[in-house]
Amino acid sequence: MPRIGVFICHCGNNIASTVGIEKLVEFTKALPGVVVVEHNLYSCSEEGLSSIRKSAEENKLDRIVVAACTPRTHAPLFRKICEMAGINKYLFEFVSIREHCSWIHIKDANAATEKAKKLVAMGVAKAALLEPQKEMESNVIPTAVVVGGGLTGLTAAASLVAQGIDTHLIEREGTLGGILKDIDVIGPEFKKTRELLDQLIKELKDSSKAHIHLDSRVISSSGFIGNFELTVECKGESVKIPAGAIILATGARELVPTGEYGCGSVPGVMTQLEFEKRLAKGEVPERAVFIQCVGSRQSGREYCSRVCCNTSLKNALRIVNAAPNASVSIIHRDIMSYGTVPEHIYREASEKGVRFLRYGLERPSKITRKRNGLVVQVFDETIDQEIDIDADVVVLATPMVSREDARDIGKLFKVPTDKYGFFLEAHVKLRPVEFSTDGVFICGSARFPSSVSECISQGLAAAAKASIPIRRGKVVVEAITSWADPDRCAACGSCVTSCPYEAIEIVDEEGRRYAKVNETLCKGCGTCVAACPNDAMQQRGFTTRQLGAMIDALVKNALGET
Amino acid sequence: MKLAFEEQGADYLLIMREEHGNVAPAMIANGESADGVRLDIPYQLVTILENIYPWLSKGKIAIITRRCDEKALAELVKRKYVDDKRIVKIGLACSEEQIRKCRCNDPVPSTVAVGEPHAGVKDDELALALSKKSSEDRLNFWVDQYKKCNKCFGCTLNCPVCFCDDDCVLEDRTFVAEPSVPPGLSFHMIRSFHMADKCIECGECERACPAEIPILTMRKLLAKDMKAVFGFTPGDEKTVSPLNTTLEGEQLEDECDES
Amino acid sequence: MTGFSPTILAFCCNWCSYAGADLAGVSRLQMPPNVHVVRVMCSASVKPEYVLKAISQGVDGVLVLGCHIGDCHYMTGNHRTAKRMPIVQKVLEEVGIDERRLRLDWVSASEGEKFQKVVVDFVDEITKLGPNPMREVKF
Repeated sequence: MPRIGVFICHCGNNIASTVGIEKLVEFTKALPGVVVVEHNLYSCSEEGLSSIRKSAEENKLDRIVVAACTPRTHAPLFRKICEMAGINKYLFEFVSIREHCSWIHIKDANAATEKAKKLVAMGVAKAALLEPQKEMESNVIPTAVVVGGGLTGLTAAASLVAQGIDTHLIEREGTLGGILKDIDVIGPEFKKTRELLDQLIKELKDSSKAHIHLDSRVISSSGFIGNFELTVECKGESVKIPAGAIILATGARELVPTGEYGCGSVPGVMTQLEFEKRLAKGEVPERAVFIQCVGSRQSGREYCSRVCCNTSLKNALRIVNAAPNASVSIIHRDIMSYGTVPEHIYREASEKGVRFLRYGLERPSKITRKRNGLVVQVFDETIDQEIDIDADVVVLATPMVSREDARDIGKLFKVPTDKYGFFLEAHVKLRPVEFSTDGVFICGSARFPSSVSECISQGLAAAAKASIPIRRGKVVVEAITSWADPDRCAACGSCVTSCPYEAIEIVDEEGRRYAKVNETLCKGCGTCVAACPNDAMQQRGFTTRQLGAMIDALVKNALGET
Repeated sequence: MKLAFEEQGADYLLIMREEHGNVAPAMIANGESADGVRLDIPYQLVTILENIYPWLSKGKIAIITRRCDEKALAELVKRKYVDDKRIVKIGLACSEEQIRKCRCNDPVPSTVAVGEPHAGVKDDELALALSKKSSEDRLNFWVDQYKKCNKCFGCTLNCPVCFCDDDCVLEDRTFVAEPSVPPGLSFHMIRSFHMADKCIECGECERACPAEIPILTMRKLLAKDMKAVFGFTPGDEKTVSPLNTTLEGEQLEDECDES
Repeated sequence: MTGFSPTILAFCCNWCSYAGADLAGVSRLQMPPNVHVVRVMCSASVKPEYVLKAISQGVDGVLVLGCHIGDCHYMTGNHRTAKRMPIVQKVLEEVGIDERRLRLDWVSASEGEKFQKVVVDFVDEITKLGPNPMREVKF
């Protein structure tokens, strides 16, 4: 008989304000196999965790069920407590009564409580049938691959080679530097971009550990953490690179407006990057107008691109520093100069005569041509008046958007993108530079529009994270692989056909034919289990008995005894 | 006539034979008398072949094969249960009466050695009638039928493409909740699903069922669905079940909306 | 049918739809309390036997939610789901159970709103279909 302990979390008010904890505790006590039921204010706190451990030891529990938030965040934490209490970490089951219950049924506390009861019953039914597992170890290839040779990728690669890790940097273009190649000077210190890039490139070139691939593209990627295999194509030739970790630093691009504000048709109207090129050549306009939020913070592209205001401020200052009598205006819908130094820059620009006018999304500015230049008609919201501003140059500060092939890159590495095409990290706070897919990391503007310093931080963070499995030399493969019972297996081959990784083959052992799963290739998807007609194939941690028991528990508690 | 087939080099012949007034499958060795052979009694000899094959490590086996038997053999060969180099097929064309009884729409084997080929029957009348009924009526019909089931497993034991034998999932409580007879609907639905990509419509299940449940009709209904959704019909050595392969080149008629 | 509150079983894959359900929760998107989620690693591991067992035992509706085609964490796992589930629906339909009681849909980790929409729609549809007729049938 299993000895199951169920620990119900209040999560402060998050669960307790909707789900009736006491009723749930009473109900749970009567479930088969349950020996003790406790509840905690915050199960994941130091106090909560140690009370679980204490209870496990005192009550000689052999299985633990935690009913709380979601396994995707705190399961590793609770599994560790199991181990500390002497319970195999696979004898643990997590029931979500927060994300899947209290948070989504706020107005119906009764129904939420009833549902929580059923969910806990299902979790307990599965827990009763869990088996202890032993994790397999797999060696890690001591090589890292960084995809993207812009500032972020260069930073990550330089950090990796500084740690002595063999690193391949894959860059699509013929030169390194990414979007910064088009930007001459970066704020807020007005440093020459070239210095920053050259420093990093030198670090790479000076190291025997760095392998730079220019004019190269990744055309396929397979494998798993510690054992990836990438195929990189360069000018018609392809090369296979085995790697232990992959960092994506593929960056983003500037949105080029299609016709808005006359961009592309009216001379003098240009994007920020085009303006940077002019400034680099020393072409300082006498009259400049910057229009912020062109194409961002609106329907279809709701986000703020975070870098455009600071960039415009930088460039506005460059103009007035070079030509103190120049007339510069910044038309905006909010100035996002977050942080200490950017706020100083904002003040400095204002003190040096840069004008700031606020406009509304519903009344965009109009640009018309005059004989001696352009006129920008803007409806100033602060004074509720329409104003005409003369300009030689109108700079459209457009947002950074994802690369056109971002989704294809995502498919290549099997990582997700959001609706804007930016890559989705595993967890915004807990795992910001990692993907859910172990061994693949994300940094820089490919994740969301980032400033130079943010790109550098993220590149360093990704390199640090990527170095961990490489340093350890081994990765533990989660024990959720499948296996076929040789006595039941009819060797029909259905599993062999259905496995996406070709990890199964029919073997012949002294006349007995059965399906054998290659544990290093098995990813634990369970496709083979669904293909198997006679229940021979099972997935550890998701056996047919376990899932069948969950269904029975739902039926019993929702529809009465069947 | 039968002996002539031994010219094909067969060591054994699997055939129906009458003995003491009973007709049963028999294996006649080369040289043995072929008295009492009956070609008019239908039976799924491939099931017999499948069962005795592990004990026949040597020799060539000739077998009377109707079209359905041929297809059943193909399903076994593709799973490597049987080595087709050791099998000699002796094509038997079914009589009109038999074709009608089986509601068979594909009755002629690739080579006819015995019998006169006849055209198949287009529809299973019961299947047609059921298709026109409401869900409620259909369910009432099938529940009435399935309530007669007493888990004799005659259908699975006689089926040539049912290869799980003693390990059939329908025996234990994992997916079929009812502990006694009759088993619940999941018993029959699971069998239907398992058969969907394997059944070659020989009708042996229906002939074996002591409760006279129209099992073959349900098989034919699903065969039609498999054809409609995947263009797939079991019984071809070269095709793989679409239920375990990728979407490559396959258009599902009711593909999930990608929006 | 007044007063009928369906019991629905949902299989969600760890990488996409379960994460999408989590996101819906985090975003406090409200939905009817009829859906009970079972976490699996991949939608392709959902055995047709589970669906048929659940329906046979009276569950009113079954949802199988996986990653969008092309986005499966296990590459082509969900291709199999896409091909198996329509046949499970046919098995139900032929025996006289409305095939709409099984729904297959794709929800990605970032689609909290889609998860909500699927749940709301499905509960609505099953409510209109009424209780599973197998609830009244005793074998």
